[in-house]
Amino acid sequence: MSVIANSPGVLSTLASATASGFTFHAADAGPWWMALVPGLPLLGAMICLAMLLFKRDSGGRSRLPAHLVTALLAGSFLITLLGFFGWDKGAPWVTHVFEWINIAWGPGAGESLAANVSFYMDGLSWLWMLFVTGLATAICLYASEYMANDKGYARFFAAFALFVVSMSCLVMGDNLVLLYLGWEGVGLCSYLLIGYFYEKPSAVAAAKKAFIVNRIGDLGLALAIYLIFTTFGTVRYEELFAMVSQGVDGSGHALADTWQATWIPLLLMIGAFGKSAQFPLYVWLPDAMEGPTPVSALIHAATMVTAGVYLIARMYPLFLLDPSLTALHIVAYVGTFTAFLAATIGMAQFDIKRIMAYSTLSQLGYMFAGLGVMATNGAAYHVFTHAFFKATLFLACGAVMHGFAGQLDLRKLSGLWHIKGWRIVSIAMLIGCLNLAGIPLITSGFWSKDMIIAEAFTTPNGVIAGSSVIGWVLLFTAGLTAYYTFRVFFRVFVGPVEYVPGDEAHADDDDHAHGNSGHSDEHFHPHAPGLAINLVLAGLAIGATLAIIPNFIDKDHHGWVGGLLHESTAHYQSGFTHHEPDNEHALIDASTGAALVPVAHSAPIHPPATSHGADTPHAEEAVHAGSFLGMDPHKAMYYASAFFATVGILFAAFLHGPVGMWGLGLGKRTSAAVSRADAWKRALGPIGRWAEHKWYVDEFYALVLHAPLRVMAHIFHAFDKLIIDGALVDGTGLLPRLVGRTLRPMQSGVLQGYATGMAAGIGVIVLIVLVMTL
Amino acid sequence: MISYLPTLLASAPPLSGAQVPPMISKLSVIVPEIVMFVGTCLVLMLGLSKTASIRRSCVGVAELTLIIAGIAAATGPSLVAESLLPNLMPFAKVLIAVVGLVLLLLLSGTVDRDIEAAAAVGRPFDVLHSNRAEFYAFFLFSLTGLMLCASADDLIWLFLALELTSLPTYVMVSISTSKTRTQEAGVKYFFLGAFSAAMLLMGFTFIYGATGTTQLFGETSIATALAAQGELGPIALLGFVLAIIGLCFKIAAVPMHFYTPDVYQGAAAGVSAMLAFVPKTAGFLALMLLVSAIGWGVDGAYGLPPTIRLMLWVLAALTMTYGNVLALMQRSVKRILAYSSIAHSGYMLVGILAGPGLAGDGAPSNGLGAVLFYLLCYGVMNVGAFAVVASLKRQSDDEAEDVDDLRGLCKSHPMLGWTMVASAISMLGLPIAIGFLGKLYLFTAGLRAGEIALIVVMGLNSAIAAFYYLRLAFTPMLEIPNDRDAPLVVTQFTMRKLAGAVSALGVVVLLPFAGRLATMSDHAATYTRTDTGVSSVTTALPEHASVEEH
Repeated sequence: MSVIANSPGVLSTLASATASGFTFHAADAGPWWMALVPGLPLLGAMICLAMLLFKRDSGGRSRLPAHLVTALLAGSFLITLLGFFGWDKGAPWVTHVFEWINIAWGPGAGESLAANVSFYMDGLSWLWMLFVTGLATAICLYASEYMANDKGYARFFAAFALFVVSMSCLVMGDNLVLLYLGWEGVGLCSYLLIGYFYEKPSAVAAAKKAFIVNRIGDLGLALAIYLIFTTFGTVRYEELFAMVSQGVDGSGHALADTWQATWIPLLLMIGAFGKSAQFPLYVWLPDAMEGPTPVSALIHAATMVTAGVYLIARMYPLFLLDPSLTALHIVAYVGTFTAFLAATIGMAQFDIKRIMAYSTLSQLGYMFAGLGVMATNGAAYHVFTHAFFKATLFLACGAVMHGFAGQLDLRKLSGLWHIKGWRIVSIAMLIGCLNLAGIPLITSGFWSKDMIIAEAFTTPNGVIAGSSVIGWVLLFTAGLTAYYTFRVFFRVFVGPVEYVPGDEAHADDDDHAHGNSGHSDEHFHPHAPGLAINLVLAGLAIGATLAIIPNFIDKDHHGWVGGLLHESTAHYQSGFTHHEPDNEHALIDASTGAALVPVAHSAPIHPPATSHGADTPHAEEAVHAGSFLGMDPHKAMYYASAFFATVGILFAAFLHGPVGMWGLGLGKRTSAAVSRADAWKRALGPIGRWAEHKWYVDEFYALVLHAPLRVMAHIFHAFDKLIIDGALVDGTGLLPRLVGRTLRPMQSGVLQGYATGMAAGIGVIVLIVLVMTL
Repeated sequence: MISYLPTLLASAPPLSGAQVPPMISKLSVIVPEIVMFVGTCLVLMLGLSKTASIRRSCVGVAELTLIIAGIAAATGPSLVAESLLPNLMPFAKVLIAVVGLVLLLLLSGTVDRDIEAAAAVGRPFDVLHSNRAEFYAFFLFSLTGLMLCASADDLIWLFLALELTSLPTYVMVSISTSKTRTQEAGVKYFFLGAFSAAMLLMGFTFIYGATGTTQLFGETSIATALAAQGELGPIALLGFVLAIIGLCFKIAAVPMHFYTPDVYQGAAAGVSAMLAFVPKTAGFLALMLLVSAIGWGVDGAYGLPPTIRLMLWVLAALTMTYGNVLALMQRSVKRILAYSSIAHSGYMLVGILAGPGLAGDGAPSNGLGAVLFYLLCYGVMNVGAFAVVASLKRQSDDEAEDVDDLRGLCKSHPMLGWTMVASAISMLGLPIAIGFLGKLYLFTAGLRAGEIALIVVMGLNSAIAAFYYLRLAFTPMLEIPNDRDAPLVVTQFTMRKLAGAVSALGVVVLLPFAGRLATMSDHAATYTRTDTGVSSVTTALPEHASVEEH
């Protein structure tokens, strides 16, 4: 089994081999109707586009696009559900739709490129598709009300549906080229939707920023795909992972110590950092909040930004090929740093949507840290829970923005809980906040976050150097998260009723403002959310709460998500944990010579790994090289993380809580704008200011990247104007004109002249020809 | 449409059989021409009828004739056993019939408008001054001649066919409008045409003198005689040089190009569109037949004898450069299109120069196939541009032929405007239209033949051409109409607009089928010569080797 030929016949035998840290299953043919999952939204996008082209956009008067797209997305979700239950954790499904790219320039392996539009459904794809289509349906319904008064209604839903199509291609594609198509597709839709209010300069700038920063990541991904193709000779998952499971490349050579084994994961990582907004490529995400809130909720919180997590989880076997795990180290460090940095920035912001954006960054950091410390399971579960509670939070913020004419400043809003018609929004917000803060035991956010933090302590420092430091930083950041989350809640939703409307007058503000312009405080009446918004918020809040359930089922695999991941290429529950008999096997199975490298590296720190096998699955403490203050991290985390979350919330209540809230009397806030925090901030001096200005990272980029590029652009522009346009283009244009001017008199229009010209021409030619022959 | 007989092709015995095919078999290959002739006679009579409705049926009968002729060509013999280009006929004739159909749409209402208007108010029909019958009959005659060019197997036949193509066009130019400028154009065209025909005939005479036969192929033919001599003697060479120069008039190439702008501008736009296609196609078909008798060499030594090759090289380079450079200076759309017609001939000469290549070279590298494909592209896109001019009038009843008249046409008359945009973009050779592929095949054929320098010249010319084609494309699309000018009047002849629309659609719609069409044209240009012809002997001589490797 040392040499592997790139042919289907050999593949089927290889597919079931377990040589490395994951099991690779041969795929079954999936049902054709899986193609409808992206197909229905595509239909919706095309219909909306046709409406845009052939019918003047009715400016939100016709709700047809929204209802149509919602219905189609719901259909897509139902098909996903149907497929999911039909799949029932069997072998992955591959649904072939049509042949897309099929080029061969030689008979051998690696001399052909085949990338079909085929969909590969394993546990990882199912998990992603379930929440992508589900949330897309809910948020589309929300948007049907939210976007009602905006121009370009059909345009919005066309891009929205196209986003779901692209995301489906990204997640469901059975090869890297289709993944890349989806990757660029979601980038495009993100660009289109951030710049949706294209008359607003800030929205246009934000869209450009998002697009350009994403290009850096996309370049990394493109190079990674190219390198994978040159190394393995294929871009199809089935063939690729069959080889990776053997630890060999396309020509059968062992990969473990090659430069490709280091660089493929590094490049993939850069791609993931761009799309998932990790440091230093995170700057686009906060600005992306210029887009409509449903977009922020779906694309920039729940789904698209988790594409990076998906990519790394999908390609996890490749990350494990590198003996020193360079890329995973960086993923862990960068994720942790992003989590911390974004949390500190989020603490000092005043725009509630931006706070949520920084919180998204921070939570994405958690997910990356989870991937880095080999807790793919925890990362994926966190993606899943985060999708629900962050969508809830965003949509609640959106409802506020919608109701208060664009007001998002937490200093100008207070006591929404007590305003009539805002109770559902407030409760949804509270549930979202509880989840984000990670209130122990009762929230899904608690369990998913703890899975990551506990794993950071569990993973030995010898495998991921400094993983316990990562654990501590993440724990501390959890406290910060609880603080900034409840800062928003305490400021905006409780306390004295007080509000200043924003400056976005809606078309129907007149109804509420009694003929007034709708801008003055006295006459402004908040525009309470309607049925669709409340329905979706309630549904999502319930969903966010219920997302806790997966944690308690399928305990064998660390919960339902773990069970799904067990059936996917992301299946690498770290070998240092206790409930994974077959992984322990994998680690000690060094007979193939291509076994997972961490075995060797962790050996000194982790001696029981070789002695501990499937027969002693409950000797837990023995295998734990990493520990948390001498305790089992998984157990200890219940208390440690609960402690940090509670401290964070109490701190928020102390600084921002209103007087006499629920009889606790912690806070002293009596108006919307003034709180105890102001004094604290003054005391903190520059630190607070720096955090408020996002650590001046944007300014730093402007200085280091933007300014030199501008200077260069001016130089090139001058060069272009003077040399290229001036000398070359105009110069070359001049020559034909001069020739033309010289020749023009020949076209005198005189018959004799023409005849003479012809005769002369004949004469010259005949003469030359005869001279040549003689 | 064209029925393939690939198996027959494989079994076709080249250069064998009877020296002169029996009369019956010869008639069987000219069934389309016979159909055309019958239709022509019918049109000639119908056009003189006293009843207006019968007179009007001229166009319909002409269309029908073309359709039947096209079908006859498509279903007729697709292979002539002895010919050096045995598959040429069906493709060429169907191409002629199809483009002829569109041209006919464009010609509607060109003549007899005054007479018909008078007849409509009750005055008696003026038979003596009516031109309708001649006009459509001459159009069909010209196309008949064109088809006969494709069928030619003899120099005399070829000459007569060429003249049958040309003579009616002289008349058509002269009667297309009543303006003095038109008369002048007709006279110039006729005299210069006669001059070129004399050259052509002189060339044919020399060829006959050198080879002792007028047969183009067969057992005793120019081809076999030249192969037996092993090289082009001075007499034969002079004959071919003069004949090619004579044909340069038909295709509007240097040095016989002078008439083009004046005649195109003087004639009605519809007739100009016809002049840009019909004589050009005749010229290229004749050129193919004539040069195939010399032979490109088939045993690996590609290329024509050095002198002929050099001459075609220089003519191609000069023609495309002259056309493009002078087109830059023009304000009149018709003159621009005339110069562009010259330039396109220059491009197509590259295909003749490159020759058919070997059978295994694949579709895009057959130069003759590339020329046939380009003729198809040019026929389609050229009609569109002229149709726009033909469909617009100024208030003063002049044709709106100035570039400024096109300003903002996409807004004011979207159909015409976009037709112009599509045609210009296709002639420029942007990849979204069919003209791009036409040019691409010529490029690849030229590259295959090793004519790198000429390809560079062609590329530079395409760049120069972009200047005026983009002006034709952007003026309707981006500029706003001049307020001072009176608005243009659109013709009442919807047929002309239809011709434009067909052409504009064609340049885009044909794109997905381009591969199939290219295969067809490649098949049509199959060159069956297996002996070495003249070229390999001459190229074997050391002093010519350097030229060959150019």
